[in-house]
Amino acid sequence: MRIKFILPFILVFLFGFSLQAQNPARTTIKGVLQDTLHAPIPFATVMLLNASDSALINFLSSNDKGEFAFSNVKNSKYLLKAQHMSYLPIQIILSPSPTAINNLQVVTMKPISQMLMEVVIRAAKAPLRMRGDTVEYDATTFKVPTGSTVEDLLRRLPGINVDADGNISTQGKDVKRLYVDGKTFFGDDPKSITKNLGAEAISKVQVYTEKSEQSKLTGVDDGSKEKAMNLELKDEFKKGSFGKVTLAAGTEERWAGRGNYNRFNDKTQFSVIGYGNNINQTGVNWEDYGEFKGNNSFNDYDNGDFGFNRNGGNYYYFDGNDSPVNNYDGKGLTENYGGGTNYNFDNKKTKLNASYFYNQTQLDFLQTSFRQTFVDENNTFTKDDTVQNSDFRSSHSIGTRFEQEFDSSNKLIAKANLRFSSNDNHVINSQLFSDYDLQPYNSLNLNNTNNLSSYKITSAAIYRHLFKKKGRSFAVSGGYNANLSDGTENYNSLNDFFEASTPSEQIRQLINNDKNIEEIKSSALYTEPLSKKWYLEFFYNYSRLANKSNRQAYPFESEVNIDSLSNYYEQVTSYNRLGSVLRYSFNGINASLGFAGQQLKLDGQYATDIGQPWDSVGVSKTYPNFTPDFNFNYEFKNNMRLEVGYTNSITAPDFNDLVPLKNTSNPAYQIVGNSKLIPENSHNVSAGLFYWNPSSFANIGFNTDFGVTNNPIIYNQVTVFDSTSGMLTISTPENMEQSKNINSWLWSNIPIIKTKLTIDVNGGTGWDYSPTRINDILDNSKSTSFRLGGNINLTPNAKLVFSAGFWGNFSKVKYTINAEHNQDYFNYQLRSSIKWQFVTRMFFESNFNYSVYKNDQYGFDQAVPLWNASVRRIIGKNNKFEMRLAAFDILNKNVNVNQYATKNYVQASNTNTLARYFMLSISYNMKGFESKIQKNRFM
Amino acid sequence: MKRNTQIFLITMIGCLILGANKISAQTTEGTIRYLRTQNWAKMMSGLDYISKNQRDRMMYMWGNRSEWKTYTLLHFNATESKYEDSEEEAEPGNEGWSNRKELFFMKRDFKANTLYDGMYLLGKNYLIHDTIVPPVWKILNDMKEVAGHICMNASSVDTLRKQSIMVWFALDMPIPTGPDRFIGLPGMVLEVDINNGAAIMTADKIDLKPLTSELNVPEKIKGKKINTAEYTLIVEKQMKERKAAEEPWFWGMRY
Repeated sequence: MRIKFILPFILVFLFGFSLQAQNPARTTIKGVLQDTLHAPIPFATVMLLNASDSALINFLSSNDKGEFAFSNVKNSKYLLKAQHMSYLPIQIILSPSPTAINNLQVVTMKPISQMLMEVVIRAAKAPLRMRGDTVEYDATTFKVPTGSTVEDLLRRLPGINVDADGNISTQGKDVKRLYVDGKTFFGDDPKSITKNLGAEAISKVQVYTEKSEQSKLTGVDDGSKEKAMNLELKDEFKKGSFGKVTLAAGTEERWAGRGNYNRFNDKTQFSVIGYGNNINQTGVNWEDYGEFKGNNSFNDYDNGDFGFNRNGGNYYYFDGNDSPVNNYDGKGLTENYGGGTNYNFDNKKTKLNASYFYNQTQLDFLQTSFRQTFVDENNTFTKDDTVQNSDFRSSHSIGTRFEQEFDSSNKLIAKANLRFSSNDNHVINSQLFSDYDLQPYNSLNLNNTNNLSSYKITSAAIYRHLFKKKGRSFAVSGGYNANLSDGTENYNSLNDFFEASTPSEQIRQLINNDKNIEEIKSSALYTEPLSKKWYLEFFYNYSRLANKSNRQAYPFESEVNIDSLSNYYEQVTSYNRLGSVLRYSFNGINASLGFAGQQLKLDGQYATDIGQPWDSVGVSKTYPNFTPDFNFNYEFKNNMRLEVGYTNSITAPDFNDLVPLKNTSNPAYQIVGNSKLIPENSHNVSAGLFYWNPSSFANIGFNTDFGVTNNPIIYNQVTVFDSTSGMLTISTPENMEQSKNINSWLWSNIPIIKTKLTIDVNGGTGWDYSPTRINDILDNSKSTSFRLGGNINLTPNAKLVFSAGFWGNFSKVKYTINAEHNQDYFNYQLRSSIKWQFVTRMFFESNFNYSVYKNDQYGFDQAVPLWNASVRRIIGKNNKFEMRLAAFDILNKNVNVNQYATKNYVQASNTNTLARYFMLSISYNMKGFESKIQKNRFM
Repeated sequence: MKRNTQIFLITMIGCLILGANKISAQTTEGTIRYLRTQNWAKMMSGLDYISKNQRDRMMYMWGNRSEWKTYTLLHFNATESKYEDSEEEAEPGNEGWSNRKELFFMKRDFKANTLYDGMYLLGKNYLIHDTIVPPVWKILNDMKEVAGHICMNASSVDTLRKQSIMVWFALDMPIPTGPDRFIGLPGMVLEVDINNGAAIMTADKIDLKPLTSELNVPEKIKGKKINTAEYTLIVEKQMKERKAAEEPWFWGMRY
């Protein structure tokens, strides 16, 4: 009660008191700048800064009388700075003004004398900076001889004294503490560092005042301060490293292990990687491979085959060929080992990469398949196939790449890759042929082994020069590729007839096959700007591919070769092309029109063995052609882009189609040559429309492709019944009149509820018309296919990601000669997945796929449900460990299914693959695992 | 401390004197060409809502080769300036491919304290009219030479885009403007560093000459008329959405 009564009085008293003592809320700061002779200083810059943080409040220029005034500014503590080119700058600390006008009266600035001016100029150029009370020296500008220590460097810094014993002092005080990149080093004596660390590692030297160790410990500022020095290392002396190891063991004798370690600094990157498993990971994943290759993962301008495409393809190039990335195709069981090392150097002018990789895979699969072949209107035969395949592949690869930018207008890129690989393959194949009534006719059993070892070299160099005139450039490239291989094939076939007079026939052969392929190529490109919008390009390509092959077939346990199956040949393909492109590019329109004249020359000579006289039948063909090219790219307003293109390509017949080589690896299938073949000439028109909405991130794309091939080379098949060998299919390449195809794609990604719900829809159609002669009857088979897919992505919160989708493929094949065999086949898949962080650092992940393969005509209907699930927990300080329990194919139903229909047959196959297993894994990550679900899908 | 102040003062005068011969021949109008270098990996590494492992991987794989250079122009006289993209190709060898020119200009009238910006933002053209509110600058005591001018150092924080800004301005060009949104200092801003090198604009050519029509803005431009507050809302909304999706906010927006 009493307090309530008294309070207003106290408040009034306090308020009244403070009112009396308070300065005005706003004030005007004014003054006159004068020199020492009381002359006004006009046009000086006067800045009003907040005294506590130097924030700029206002600035102005003094008037012709030297007057300045900051009117009506908040009345507080300020720092006033005045500068003029002829006077020494001044700084005044202003306290809050007790009056409404804070008149500083006359502010005197001292003129700069000539002598002082020289000092000042030197000082301004001195490589030191002030940051608060820190003086910072740019160490790189103080030249010291190579091999000098930090101490030698410090002796050269103005304001720093180093005595004979190496003790450092500055501004009259000893430097007590020395840091390197802000970190203390062992021992308190700074000399141990300054006498040992090289000066070339230092980029900056900073000197500042810091609280004494005592006050740091107690937290009580005893006022005593010490001078401290920090040596900042140059970026290239800054180091980093990261790495991961995973070990896993499971049921069904499943195991996996992988690890990688990277070290880097500003200029170099070094990495090692290794893996081994029997869970069908035949290589590393893309993410690990990217980290392994580091900044050499993507290289632009690496394509030296210049042509109609601008700069010979100005795209980023991932050296995907022969890369040790997982390429398991879903068939069989594998055991895999691999590892490698990579080194990158990059100082912006020079880029160097060297890498080595070894990998091996043992693949075993068992495949059963059914094929029905239409012989004519009435007859078909069926083939039941069982393939037992055992395949071992290994390779050693060495890759190097060098890029040098000599100056802003000259650049060289050189690459070389060396690869040694070997392959041992063993196939046991039994084929059962039956007639239309499914009566078994004959069986063919093959037992073939194949050993191949090869050396491969690929190398290329590209040199680019930019002329002084903007847009004028020249580039030249050269390359050498070689592939030497040595193969041995061991054929063993047994043909059993169930009803014929000769009940069985056996072929046993050994074949040696040595191949030597060499290619040299060179290209040149010149670009001339005609104006800011028009460019003219000329290009020239040359290549020569020489292929020498010696293939000798021997009967079982015999030294005498079989002439009819042995051959030696030398084939040379030479290619010359000269072309020109006219290009227009302005404000989102990029168009080009090009023409090229080219000549393909094929020369082939054949003999039964090396050293034997050439056969009279050889190949000597020259195919001159003229090819146009057109491209148009337009960027509409609103992030829409249209692309229209036309290309014309000439494909020469393969040597082996012109003069075939007899092969007995499969006695039921033979290829016969055709020396009258001419090149295929295909015309392709494509158009695409793409849209992206930067606000919602919705994107839609549509693309269509229409191709017409004149004189397509098509394998016409004649299937005959031969009383000695059973069903025999003879395939002959022939130029047919014309084949056509149209393919269209549509894809879209549309956010329905921003950041929460996204829908993807994609689909496509394909139509293909290609005439084939089957048993000399022309069949104009047409196939049509439709693809449709969709996916919903739901992210209700940061801890849950759910997705569900489907994908379907419907194909229709129509035959003209036996329409009753028209095929409709259908594959579809339903899938769903979930990622759920159910407790901090604990995650549940699962996906379920249901795949169906259907062909009603054959009563083929197979469904494969595949369900995987895992739980993982991140443990340890800094999230460095992860434990994961995973169940793969919980329903134990996994099998690889394929179905396929083409010109004269339909086929369906089943292959074994990895089914149910459970696995426990533990991983260590030097940098720690991410303790949340990653939402974005890039990188 | 006293000695430090001395060093500062001496340095400061140095700059003024070095600039003095320029000032005497000063024309208060002309065009400055800035080389704008954007480092995509560094831009990404500034996004703290994307996982550190992912950002580190991007820096490791792309850090050295994700630079993208363009030229921008700042036309100015004593009372006005206009900032825009240059048509000149900054990376030689890239000629012969042209992207659509997006609407972009930033006009400043620092006498009337008004701004007029035209920009293509998230798929739409906007015309922004408002008064100038310059960034809050802290004046630092560093000195550095840019394009022949000794410059003072100032820093700022872009709270909208969460960027640290470091600029260098020339006292011998006493025009309170600069490239992009970096204005309001007692001298021309000649260099800008956003987020420690993610984007750098450096004056590489200063052409003092009488201007003709460079400061003019095309009269008929279609675009939605908004003010600075509305512009800020658009940027804030996009940044918030991109953050939720853990994707870069600068896809479709100037950095």
